[in-house]
Amino acid sequence: MKTILGYALHYKKSAAVALLLMGLELFVELVQPIIMAIIIDEGIVTRDMSKVVIWGSILLGLSLLAFIGGIVSSYFAANVSQGVGYDVRRDVFTKIQTFATAHMQKFETSSLLTRLTNDVTQIQGFLFMSMRIMLRAPLFVFIGVIMAFSVHARLSMILLVAVPVLVVVMLWIVSKGVARFQLVQKRLDNVNSVISENLVGMKLIKSFHRGKYEENRFQRVNQNLMERNVNALRLMELSVPVIMLGMNASILLILWFGSFEMAAGTAQPGEIVAILNYGTRIMISIGMFSFLMMSFSRGKASASRIEEVLDEPEDESIHRGTNKLLDLQGDITFDQVSFTFPGMEQSALEDIDFHVKPGEMVGILGETGAGKSTLVKLIPRLIDPTSGQVLIDQTDVTSIDPQELRNEVGVVPQEVHLFSGSIAENLRWGNDTATMNQMVEATKEADLHDFIMGLPEQYESIIGARGTNLSGGQKQRLSLARALLRKPKILLLDDSTSALDAHTEQRILSRLKEQHCTIILVAQKISSVRDANQIIILKDGQIVGCGSHKTLLQENSYYQQIYYSQEQEGVIHGG
Amino acid sequence: MAKTQINRNWKGNGHPHMHLGKRPKVKNVKGTLLRIWAYIAKDRTLFIGVLSMVFISSVLSLLGPYLLGIAVDLLIEDFETTILATMLIWLLVVYAGQATAQWLQNYWMITVAQRTVREMRSHLFSHLHKLPISYFQKNHDGEIMSRLTNDMENVSRTLNSSIIQVTTSILTLLGTIGVMLWLSPVLTLLTLTVVPVMYGGMKWITNRTGVYFKEQQRHLGELNGYIEETLAGHTIVKMFSKEQKVIEEFHEKNEALKNSGYFAQTYSGFIPKLMNMLNNVSFTIIVGVGGLLAVKGAVSIGVIVTFTTYSRQFTRPLNDLANQFNTILSAVAGAERVFHVIDEDREDLNLRKEVDIPSIKGEIEFRSVSFSYEDVDQTLHDVSFKAAPGDTIALVGPTGAGKTTITSLLSRFYDANKGTILIDGNDITEITRSSLRKQMGVVIQDSVLFHTTVRENIRYGKLDASDADVIEAAKEANAHSFIMKLPEGYDTLLHSDGRDISQGQRQLIAIARAMIASPSLLILDEATSSIDTITEIKINEALARLMKGRTSFVIAHRLNTIRNANLIVVLHEGKIIEQGTHKQLLKQGGMYAKLHETQSGNDTRGSVLEHLEGR
Repeated sequence: MKTILGYALHYKKSAAVALLLMGLELFVELVQPIIMAIIIDEGIVTRDMSKVVIWGSILLGLSLLAFIGGIVSSYFAANVSQGVGYDVRRDVFTKIQTFATAHMQKFETSSLLTRLTNDVTQIQGFLFMSMRIMLRAPLFVFIGVIMAFSVHARLSMILLVAVPVLVVVMLWIVSKGVARFQLVQKRLDNVNSVISENLVGMKLIKSFHRGKYEENRFQRVNQNLMERNVNALRLMELSVPVIMLGMNASILLILWFGSFEMAAGTAQPGEIVAILNYGTRIMISIGMFSFLMMSFSRGKASASRIEEVLDEPEDESIHRGTNKLLDLQGDITFDQVSFTFPGMEQSALEDIDFHVKPGEMVGILGETGAGKSTLVKLIPRLIDPTSGQVLIDQTDVTSIDPQELRNEVGVVPQEVHLFSGSIAENLRWGNDTATMNQMVEATKEADLHDFIMGLPEQYESIIGARGTNLSGGQKQRLSLARALLRKPKILLLDDSTSALDAHTEQRILSRLKEQHCTIILVAQKISSVRDANQIIILKDGQIVGCGSHKTLLQENSYYQQIYYSQEQEGVIHGG
Repeated sequence: MAKTQINRNWKGNGHPHMHLGKRPKVKNVKGTLLRIWAYIAKDRTLFIGVLSMVFISSVLSLLGPYLLGIAVDLLIEDFETTILATMLIWLLVVYAGQATAQWLQNYWMITVAQRTVREMRSHLFSHLHKLPISYFQKNHDGEIMSRLTNDMENVSRTLNSSIIQVTTSILTLLGTIGVMLWLSPVLTLLTLTVVPVMYGGMKWITNRTGVYFKEQQRHLGELNGYIEETLAGHTIVKMFSKEQKVIEEFHEKNEALKNSGYFAQTYSGFIPKLMNMLNNVSFTIIVGVGGLLAVKGAVSIGVIVTFTTYSRQFTRPLNDLANQFNTILSAVAGAERVFHVIDEDREDLNLRKEVDIPSIKGEIEFRSVSFSYEDVDQTLHDVSFKAAPGDTIALVGPTGAGKTTITSLLSRFYDANKGTILIDGNDITEITRSSLRKQMGVVIQDSVLFHTTVRENIRYGKLDASDADVIEAAKEANAHSFIMKLPEGYDTLLHSDGRDISQGQRQLIAIARAMIASPSLLILDEATSSIDTITEIKINEALARLMKGRTSFVIAHRLNTIRNANLIVVLHEGKIIEQGTHKQLLKQGGMYAKLHETQSGNDTRGSVLEHLEGR
């Protein structure tokens, strides 16, 4: 909450105006009963028409003043809340752009999205409210009691006793209620997760004939939700009648003792009416507490979720390194490189050692989880090694400015990600200033040009958010063309030809080999890498074999095992 | 007194912007309300109790201020302590009665409302399981999910409070006007003058907010989409060093949202201020004009006190009713969507007589089977083939050739339009779905696992299996060794999103699950996604064990599986173009042979499929 309130300080002028105007409204509301008392005591009781008219007009004037104040405050309060919302969104988003892969895994995309949208909206609502009513209700209760005192101290003693008691009762009920509602939320999550599991697995559930079983399971969570809900709501519903009864009883007490004061001549009728009026309004304000507290706890939860992102320490090492790259050759050396994901005990890569000469092609084979993708990520500095060095042209990558480095490296990731927009726009992610000719050249390399020309709008054809109207293979080729458009000196292909048929894959790979760039090719199939200058086999983060296809086939039993299993499947004999 | 205001505030559902958005569309308000009533009616006695309490508390809430006014008058005039004391005791009784009535009405209503919601939810959920699979293909999971959660929550919230609030508002409104008129027609008319001002003011505000809220919603949607896209493509953004570009584009959208949000919030912030001002003005009118009248002796001070309370009691319900109208309408719309699902035809809506079959030997025959999904062209055309018990049938062909349709017909997710499917010589449509599916096991490509332990996931295949059975099945399925390596072995909690174990491992568990069910009939969908070679070998072994002695239909991608099948069915555009064993088909020299020839030289796994696709 602190950080978020810090944002509000940027708008302290607007906030001050809004709060000041709220004070004005509060003031008007507080003096109304007093003026009413004056009208009764000096006007009605003494039958003085002019007093009634004068004070009546003052009352009307104040009401209008409060209204204008309220309208104006709306502008200022909205300025603060929208401004803070804007700033928070901006900072969170900018922060996320500095995140390394590990951070993204920690937070998950969907959760970040919620934080950037729902949580910010929640905060905005909370700020807007707090400048307009949140402070007003407690202030009214507090000052209202004081004002009642100034009207008639002895009678107000009743309020002085009743109000704190009622406030405490109210806060007790609400704080218990908020806790109970959190339980309700958990039960609701249970219900939702059963539903969503059932929807995802509907076919399976039907096949296993488990409908009844699932219904029973749902019945249980549903019943549980209902019980919690009833439990929480019943408690909350108690607060209103209790507060009302307490306050009304106090009002009756005021009337009763007031009657003696009147008889003794120590109280005016207007004064009693005024105190009654304060009592009623204080009751309304206390009634609002539960609403305010709920809103506060929601706002606080949202604020802490946002702050969690903002306070996430940046991976500083990633930003170190300022060296420029001049005339990169594409020589890559891994020197005793190990990498461990933060919070994990087992290392993902251990003592990786190899050397790739400029223009060579290296194939990397291994099981899922063997560390292939992790190895590839080290080169463009998406992650930095825990120990050891990755060297490019004999320079430690951690001393190179990551932006510079990435400009020279083309990556085609395992999972294709395209952006909504035209094909040309997507290609230009690779190079902002690419000409049409360059784009055509790149798409021809990736075997996609003919397909694009067959589309009605050709290069201007719009593709969906994740390239929905392209097939898997087309998406992969577009992703490849995008990387090629950079004219990279180092090309990283992370299992990114899996959706292509063997012919196309071979055609593209042989074309790539003619390029003057170093290629690192992660693959599942031996056929994809058999022509590489060297093949590295990873197992559990370690290199268990390295060499050409021929040598490995002769010497490496693990490689042989893979080879024979794939040969059986008829996938080896690359053409 | 002032009860409605407190109610409104603490429930927080009298959302001030509620009626500013688009009005929800309801086709059949009356019908939907009647159906909700059918649920409520189960608690009829309690519900009548609620309504009587609402009536009592409303009457008492009118009586309170009236008596208070009299008490004030008594106080001011020469009074007798005993009369005042009786008066105050009466007032106390009224207040206590009001509080009790209010508490009871809420207490009971919560029970009624929550029971109703539970019933509706259960009803909807169990109906989902009776719907045909085609329903889930036509409707997005997200949409159905929204029925069960958002729509139901909406109904729940509205039932909790709206019935009480609306009846209270109406009763209080009518009662207040009545009593006010009776006390002082002049003051009443003056109080009523705020109504047109309120109406006009609200109209002015909503005209503006409506536009901005729409705009805000649009900008928010755009921003959402943009964030989602860039977050999902986080690595790409970094790899292409496009952080700056992305941030700049985000700024534009952020700015647009801020601007529309600013006006939407500002204008909607006018509403409470307007209500407040009207309250203050009517307060002033009552005190001022009432004061003048009191000087003339036309009204008493007590009446003025009564009126100040009443005037609040009467503007609130007006505002509440306006809010409630849309809340209720949107809940009714939600309920209508829920009922819409419940009204969908059940899968087993069949006129034929079906019988249970205790066991299946596994002889399967398709006799000229044709099938088409509702709106699509025929997906299967005149398909005939025959399998003996224990056979493996490989279904081969490109996506959309009808492989999955054949397995769906076997599971009776659909019934054939033409032709018959015979199981052990019995027409499949004369066998109950439940007994048929009890004999079947399925391993589908995206292995669906549940958010529970590994053990329970395997046990899902046979609910009464012992722990030893589970381990036995896991061993058979080659899953035991990796399960033992998991942090808590068989008690490791899995997540439905599959973050804990690899795709291949999920498949092994799915195989164990099918293994434990020990079905006579198997449907397998071979994975095409990239599973590493070692795991793949394990999967193949496990599958071979699973298929042994069972009639198995395999949607095949691997050459190995295809080669060893007793029958290969080559499908293309819903028709069988060839069928036979590997040898027979090779000898025939047809499409299959041609494909086999071209690809066994130089191809990837199972490229029969891809080649057909390429044609």
